[in-house]
Amino acid sequence: MPVAGVDIGSLTAKAVILEDSTIVATSLVPTGHNSRQSGRRTLDLALEQAGISEGDLAGIVATGYGRLAADFTQDKVTEITCHARGAHFTIPEARTVIDLGGQDSKAIAIDGRGKVLDFVMNDKCSAGTGRFLEVMAHALEIELDDLGALSLESDSPASISSVCTVFAESEVVSRVAEGVSKVDIVAGIHQAIASRIYAMAARVPVEQKIIMTGGVARNRGVVKALEKRFASEILVPEMPQHTGALGAALIAGERANA
Amino acid sequence: MASDSLKRLLEKRDDPYAWARGWKERTGGKVLGFFCCLAPEEMIHAAGALPVRITGENRTISKSGAHLQSYCCSLARTGLDMALEGELSFMDGTVFVHTCDTMMRLSDIWRLNAGFAVHGDIVLPVRFEGPSAHEYAVSELSHFKRKMEESLGPIDDDALNESIKIYNKNRRLLSELYALRLENPGLVSCDEALWIVTSSALMEKSEHNAILEEILADLKSSGAGSEPDGRVRLFGIGSVMDQWDFLKMVEDVGGTIVDDDFCNGRRYFDTEAPEGIDPVESITERLWERQSCPCKHRTDRDRAVCLAGRVAESKAKGAIFWMFKFCEPHAFDYPHIKKALDDQGVPSLNLEIEQGSVSIEQLRTRVEALIETIRGS
Repeated sequence: MPVAGVDIGSLTAKAVILEDSTIVATSLVPTGHNSRQSGRRTLDLALEQAGISEGDLAGIVATGYGRLAADFTQDKVTEITCHARGAHFTIPEARTVIDLGGQDSKAIAIDGRGKVLDFVMNDKCSAGTGRFLEVMAHALEIELDDLGALSLESDSPASISSVCTVFAESEVVSRVAEGVSKVDIVAGIHQAIASRIYAMAARVPVEQKIIMTGGVARNRGVVKALEKRFASEILVPEMPQHTGALGAALIAGERANA
Repeated sequence: MASDSLKRLLEKRDDPYAWARGWKERTGGKVLGFFCCLAPEEMIHAAGALPVRITGENRTISKSGAHLQSYCCSLARTGLDMALEGELSFMDGTVFVHTCDTMMRLSDIWRLNAGFAVHGDIVLPVRFEGPSAHEYAVSELSHFKRKMEESLGPIDDDALNESIKIYNKNRRLLSELYALRLENPGLVSCDEALWIVTSSALMEKSEHNAILEEILADLKSSGAGSEPDGRVRLFGIGSVMDQWDFLKMVEDVGGTIVDDDFCNGRRYFDTEAPEGIDPVESITERLWERQSCPCKHRTDRDRAVCLAGRVAESKAKGAIFWMFKFCEPHAFDYPHIKKALDDQGVPSLNLEIEQGSVSIEQLRTRVEALIETIRGS
């Protein structure tokens, strides 16, 4: 029987429906101001895509920042456990998961079965998260989705010393005033993020292979900067934003079969 | 299932200095504040004064911002703010034990700005070992006693011996409370247990002893035959833990702290002072033998090894480090303790916080994830 995982993040809500360990539907909607409604909506979209109704599901697990608001299931699991499970399913060799989401950044050490060994999360600071990149894109009048490709064109990234969102924004404005090109500024921003994430991840044992999940993984420039900083290849699954929802669906399946 | 005595204690959790204010009104005696649990409270008690612990609180800094940099811990910043705002005006003085740099400097800033009549400093050795350090500690504590006598009146040996007895009794009763919880943590929640210990440093000790005896009797009778409730056993490590909502949340998500190294927890009451010897020697002896904090060292007792052993003894399956931001001594010890726990297969969580900006919901995800890790889900 099919199972569903719903990940209500700070910026987007995602759902994944699995049947016989195969993804049959995925959906994504902005979270907006109502976590409960967006969770519901993304689940309904996925059900529609799979051509099934909620009653056909053997189980649903909710995860993410808004998991407690999800009223369609009692099964809630943290995004840390779900990202670990989802990452393991996508890339079984993964031992370190770097998840950069809307407002959270985390590094998770996992074992060969996708179980969490240790993890670290950012504190109250949004540096290195999707929100940080949104603020920078706005300051530079660039579309968020264009940041990655643009930064790859740079051969002399600007120096951005601050990784505090507020201070970095004023630093970016200063660089613009100095006449530094947008391309170099964006590349500099990505380098600053990479340094920050590297310092955080160093608190868990970083083992090969490293996988990156969350919305920021769609930014090729950040991935490149991280690869340089970690001096290692970083694997990105096809749908990095759905890793948490996928993990939740996998756990729903395990619980349904237990 | 909180007993009436426990309920009475819990009522004061939002107004922790109500007892001290009431005591002063009733007796007209002097109240002395202290920050660190290395302070020889018995000496203040024997002089007929009331020692009361200052542990800061959740508040937005206002006046202390002019005196302390934002890289000082919230314990120092909120504590000084309370004093400068006049909220500690029922106190007649304050005692500082030199532990970390912040506390040393806070003592001077406090003396010059907080406006209390009595001020005491105690500079104990950093290494609690060797005959010369011991001799120095005895002389420093004797000097402190003389200084207190000048402000509070004579402290004779009989009175000091009596105070030591009363404090030892409190330590015994609190140890009993922890032993009961180690056996069955469901008897009383971890936030309530820690408040019972914390309140001991906020009221007259004999009064606390009487309440404790009632609480223990109630717990023993109500808990007889009840089964442990299956919560994940955790061990708490840090300095002051005063975030009751955090501890309640830990229980909400299926965990409980069964034992700890908090300085308003186990470290406050562990080890009794030997009776029947010179009282100043006795107080020194206790400081020497008790569980050490990161500000004091004994090379024969590695703190990481000791803590890892205590975690195993408590049958805790995980540990939570509760770290004040900018607390260098605790941060310095953290990697060693974390490694000792890792080697023992005990997962842990490092939570760095500041009083006044603790976000329970953010912490909930981390604690839940730790519990999921322990349960292997």
